[in-house]
Amino acid sequence: MLAFLLGEALRDLRRAGRVAVSAIVLIMLSLVALGGFWLLSFNLGRAVADWRERVRIIVYLRREPPPGEVAPLVQRVTALPDVASARYVSKAEALASLKRVLGKDAAVADQLPANPLPATIEVTPSAAGATPEGARALITRLGTLPEVEEVAGGVEWIERLADWQRLLAVIGLGLGAALALAAMLTVTTSTTLVLHQRREETEIMRLVGAPEAAVRLPLLLQGMIQGLVGAALALLALLAVHRLTAPRLEPLLTLTLGLPRLAFLTPLSVLVLLASGAGLGAVGGWLARGKGGLA
Amino acid sequence: MIELHRVSKVYEVGPVKVPALTDVSFRVAKGEFVVLTGPSGAGKTTLLRLLYREEVPTEGEVEVLGSALSTLTRSEVSALRRSIGVVFQDARLLPGRTVYENIAFVLRVTGTPRREITARAFEALRAVGLSARAQAYPGQLSQGEAQRAALARAIARRQALLIADEPTGNLDEAMAAEVLGVIRDIWAGGTTVVLATHQSRLAAGMRRRTLVLEAGRLVKDEG
Repeated sequence: MLAFLLGEALRDLRRAGRVAVSAIVLIMLSLVALGGFWLLSFNLGRAVADWRERVRIIVYLRREPPPGEVAPLVQRVTALPDVASARYVSKAEALASLKRVLGKDAAVADQLPANPLPATIEVTPSAAGATPEGARALITRLGTLPEVEEVAGGVEWIERLADWQRLLAVIGLGLGAALALAAMLTVTTSTTLVLHQRREETEIMRLVGAPEAAVRLPLLLQGMIQGLVGAALALLALLAVHRLTAPRLEPLLTLTLGLPRLAFLTPLSVLVLLASGAGLGAVGGWLARGKGGLA
Repeated sequence: MIELHRVSKVYEVGPVKVPALTDVSFRVAKGEFVVLTGPSGAGKTTLLRLLYREEVPTEGEVEVLGSALSTLTRSEVSALRRSIGVVFQDARLLPGRTVYENIAFVLRVTGTPRREITARAFEALRAVGLSARAQAYPGQLSQGEAQRAALARAIARRQALLIADEPTGNLDEAMAAEVLGVIRDIWAGGTTVVLATHQSRLAAGMRRRTLVLEAGRLVKDEG
């Protein structure tokens, strides 16, 4: 029976002709908009998450504490609210680290009469401490410790990045929703057109006692097929754009956002887009059922 | 098989009430051939539509194949209709499908197993003498052939009851005789038949039980 209903749905699609093609194109455009912004938002989200993990507040100490005082000091810092962890970095360790960064120019550091780098404590804030307000409060608290010379760090710029990410997601959803509505109405129109064309068939089906499912399912299936085809075309378009632009954009993204690779949508997102397309089409087909006076 | 208890039907056209049937009662036994006759507008079509639950009575009760139709759910109405074959004055064949496809379509949508469809469709076409025209489109058929194709579609599911609403109304005498001959054969095969016609000469020629309707009332039940 399902094969028959599917066959009827495909036959109806052929009958709808250009209107069905318009519906498919509109569904494709709405999902390209949604998927495109989703893709951007997803990659920006990855950068934000990465940077959040890398957030450090550096506590510069007035003097290098004697070995016996290091552990109690680190314990006191760790005990402060919104601190996830703290790591002591001695003057020697800081210099070694600088030399590693300098690489082949490390010999320059050896020319220094004394180690100029201060001992520090690298503080990793908890999730609450990684917000702009949390970070400001934590910096103030760390600054009140008597051993502390200066506290550096901040997360405002990460938050700005996160704001951009949210804005992109909202724009994508808004644009996608507006286009989706247009697509749904077009599916409704194409299905209504088919309903008028197949009125005789529907009448015969009802008279001979065809189950309601046999009368209504082809309409739903027709809408779903339009939606699925539109979603598949949208994914192909997104994939093509991604393949073409990613290699050109990746060096720039690495430099600005520290993002080595511009990822494509996850398999789950792909499934969601396909399901959205099918859902859009099905709703359009279902609405036509009411308009066509079948109910 | 069929039982009508004091059935009335009134159509409401805005504020105007138009009585189509008034206090009609009769019974049809299994295997009977009943001719329903009367002038145009007497209520024949309304009565037939009540039998396959296309209409519901304003008063009274209709029982068909053991079911009181007023209490049926939508799916039960569908099930009832699967046991009834209906033929109309205009054959109502689907123009985009061949004669065979018209019959197969009805068999498919009513859940006939795929492997049985071809055999059942050709069995019905043989019964109406139209096997040779199976691949013709409705537009290529004469009116008599189209009506026979509609009959084949109506009996393909081997229904217990055949309702024919003016099946010869558009046909000349020869074609009408041909179609009535086919209906008689179907009845002889065990199917109960209710046939409506406004052609009183044709009804008399059938020599079957005849119900006469006039202005919505059953005025004669003879034969």
